[in-house]
Amino acid sequence: MGGLHADAELVSCALSGSDAAFSRLVERHQAAVRGFLRRMLGGGWAEADDVAQETFLAAWQSLRSLKEPAGVRAWLCGIAWRKAQDRIRSSRRGAARDSLWLGTVEMPVGVSPEDRMSVAAAMAELSTDVRACVALCLADGWSHGEASMALGLPLGTVKSHVARGRARLLKALGGPDDA
Amino acid sequence: MTPEEKLSALFAAEAPPAPDYSFQARMAKAIALRRAWMTVVALVPWVVAAVATLWALTPVVGPMSESLGSALQPAAGMLACAAVTAAAALWMSRRLSGPVRVPFRGR
Repeated sequence: MGGLHADAELVSCALSGSDAAFSRLVERHQAAVRGFLRRMLGGGWAEADDVAQETFLAAWQSLRSLKEPAGVRAWLCGIAWRKAQDRIRSSRRGAARDSLWLGTVEMPVGVSPEDRMSVAAAMAELSTDVRACVALCLADGWSHGEASMALGLPLGTVKSHVARGRARLLKALGGPDDA
Repeated sequence: MTPEEKLSALFAAEAPPAPDYSFQARMAKAIALRRAWMTVVALVPWVVAAVATLWALTPVVGPMSESLGSALQPAAGMLACAAVTAAAALWMSRRLSGPVRVPFRGR
C-alpha cells in the first residue's frame, strides 16, 4: 500500500512540474509496461521500447487526466494497450520477426526451443484483446479487476479471455485440448 | 515439466529487468526534448504578437528612430571606441599577466 501511496505523491509532484518525480514513476513502472508491450507486440525489445517510450511521453503530457493517482500502473498499461493496438493495426507482425525475437530470449531450463516457438505462434494467433488479458493476468500476475480497469473491458470478458488464452497456450505446449 | 510450468517459465524468462537505467535515461532525454519543444511552441504566439505589435507601431516608431539615430550617432561612435579600447586593454592585460617563461638551461 506504501507503494501506491508513494505513486500518488509522485504524481502530485510530477503535476507540479518535477521531472525527477516523473522519472521515478518511469523507473517503477517501466518493467510492467515494457513486458506487457513485448508480449502484445511479439517482436523484440526495440519495438516494445519504442512504444513504451511513446506511452510514457503520452502519459507525461496527459498526467492531469489521471483520475486515480494510486492506479498509475493500470493507467499506464491502458495507454500502452491503445498504443499497441495502433501499432498492430499499422504493421502486422510476421513469422520472420517472431523467429528473430525467439533467438534473442534466453531459454529457461526444461523448455525446448520448439515449446517456445509453439507458444509464440499460439500468442500470435490470439486476438489482441485475448493476448492483452493473457499478458497482464497470466504473465504479469495482475488480477482480473486490474486488467479490466487497464484495458477498459468488462470483468466477465477479461475472465473468459484469460481462460480461453490460457487453454490455447497450454494446448500449444501439449496440454489438454479444451480450448 | 508440465505444460503449466513451461508456460510460467517462458513468461518469467521474457520479463524485462526491474531497474533499466538505459531505458530510464532515454526517457529522461525524450521528456527534456519534448519539454523544450513545448516551450518553443508556447513562445510562438508571443513572438507573433510582438511582431504584429511592432508592425502596427511602425508608422509611429519609424520617424522617431530616424531622428533618434541621427541624435545618437556621436554617442554610438564613442561607445564603439570605448568597446574597442576595453577589448584591447583586456587582451593586453591577459597577455602580460601570463606566466613568465624561463628558458631551460641544461647542464
